Amino acid sequence: MTPTRSFGRIAATALVLVVFILPPLWLLASALKPQAEIFQWPPTLWPEHFTFENFEKTMSRANFGLYFLNSAIVSVTSACLSVAMSVMAGYALSKFRFKGDTVFFLLIMSALMVPLQIVLIPVFLVLRDLGLLNTLWGLIIAPAATPTGVFLMRQYITGIPDHLIEAARIEGTPEWRILLRIIVPLALPAIGTLLAFNLVWRWNDYLWPFLIVTKQEQWTVQLAIANSIGRFSINWPRLLSMTVLSILPMFVMFVALQKTLMNGLMAGATKE
Amino acid sequence: MSMGDLKQHTKPAGAGLGGVVRAVGRTSWPYLLLLPTVALLFAFTLYPLAQGLWMSLFRRGLVVVPQIPESTPVFVGFDNYLQLIGDKDFTVALVRTVVFVVIAVPIQLATALGLALLLAPQSRFNAIIRTIVFFPSMISGLIIGVIWAWLFARNSGLVNYALSLINIPAVPWLEQDQMAQIAVVVAWVWGSAGFNMMILIAGLTAIPRDLYEAAAIDGTSRWRTFTRITLPLLEPSIVVVVVLGVIGAFQVYEIIVSLTTGGPGRATVFLIQNIYETAFKKPNQAGVAAAQSGVLFVILMVLTIVQLRVARRRS
Repeated sequence: MTPTRSFGRIAATALVLVVFILPPLWLLASALKPQAEIFQWPPTLWPEHFTFENFEKTMSRANFGLYFLNSAIVSVTSACLSVAMSVMAGYALSKFRFKGDTVFFLLIMSALMVPLQIVLIPVFLVLRDLGLLNTLWGLIIAPAATPTGVFLMRQYITGIPDHLIEAARIEGTPEWRILLRIIVPLALPAIGTLLAFNLVWRWNDYLWPFLIVTKQEQWTVQLAIANSIGRFSINWPRLLSMTVLSILPMFVMFVALQKTLMNGLMAGATKE
Repeated sequence: MSMGDLKQHTKPAGAGLGGVVRAVGRTSWPYLLLLPTVALLFAFTLYPLAQGLWMSLFRRGLVVVPQIPESTPVFVGFDNYLQLIGDKDFTVALVRTVVFVVIAVPIQLATALGLALLLAPQSRFNAIIRTIVFFPSMISGLIIGVIWAWLFARNSGLVNYALSLINIPAVPWLEQDQMAQIAVVVAWVWGSAGFNMMILIAGLTAIPRDLYEAAAIDGTSRWRTFTRITLPLLEPSIVVVVVLGVIGAFQVYEIIVSLTTGGPGRATVFLIQNIYETAFKKPNQAGVAAAQSGVLFVILMVLTIVQLRVARRRS
């Protein structure tokens, strides 16, 4: 590698680092400044008067703890439900031959073509007719069926040897026990990965809660953030601290599971 | 071994009542396993799609109220679709969305490609930077919008501060039509760059090393190596990035909610926001909104078919 080329690379890499690390860092730094310093010009890159006052106010006055709890309940429950459903459907589509199996597979996959964005209005009417508007159950159930999840589980379970299932059947093991005692333990790595994806997806959901929830006590983190953005004025100290708090769980998860999430999310996107 | 073989090895079903129950259970078991997924997809995706297309043939209110006669459905055939041609809000939003797709997707591809070429070589340092670049893929479009709204803030934002260091006066990013549109493109590209970079890096690492070695021995210039080896062999990954990008760009909405809320004026109102506003904010226009969704659905379906074709060609 010639010196000029490696210099170019170093410069480019430095630029990339600045462009991608500065925005989130600037958000965090601003959230940790007292109100006056937030709007100070020229801006301070790191808080001169470090304070948690914005976070304290967000928790006490904006009721953010409740929204955080709602988000946590909804994403964890919905993610678990979704994974359970994906394992069931993936198992059915990989280890059974039955009338209409291909039709069911294509039907489930065809749902990938229909993003929520284009069925907003009829989905709203369905939610209303099912009595799911303004309930956390609506937020848990409505997004739980994911074609991507079914696809990933089907791929993984296909690799589990048939003779294990066969042997259990010969011993007269009931079907539900085969699922719980053989398939689930063997598919555990894929289940873990899918659970992580689902947590990310559900934590970041904005359109579903936007359609389903109008009552403030059922707001999720994303809804609380969207609703704190007025068209003409924004309470920046509050918004910045809410945003930092909303990123925190995803950050922790990313640090813990970055390889799984980076490779897996990509595999999901390219194989669909 | 196929499942047909498996079934032959299982216990005969004739052994008493328990056997009958088991036999019935055996045949219905896969259907039971599929039931929750199929039921939810039907309720929240497939039925609404059909219902939406059906609704687009009626003039009706979002919610039908007997006391308001205008809200009851009246069949109008394709009138709603024809009406869209003269609907200024819709046509402006459609053109704006297409322009967004045409501008943002190539920039997104160029950014992702640059990042991929820069960060593909395996090293611990590159791995860390890849992780940092990927991180925005973990957060919602809404949050990405907030981050950039704060960066673009006129009198306290980091972008204008950086410009002031090189003596460029403060730019009213979010208060001027064109500047706001640029801001949306920047935020959108930033948010999706890492994800697309990873797709391209996967493609790059699949290119056989010996091709580059042969080119180096022949003394081929770096540019020629790039255009004759890298680009053609990377084409499948590039197509994935472009198609996913186009599909995503046509649905741009979340990032708008927090970055510009569609403003200034209506300068950054794209298709999805317009559909939503037509349905929920204009009286008795649910059919028109459904027709707008119908148009978008056709666009997305064509793109998905292109994507599937390309995927099939690859394999």
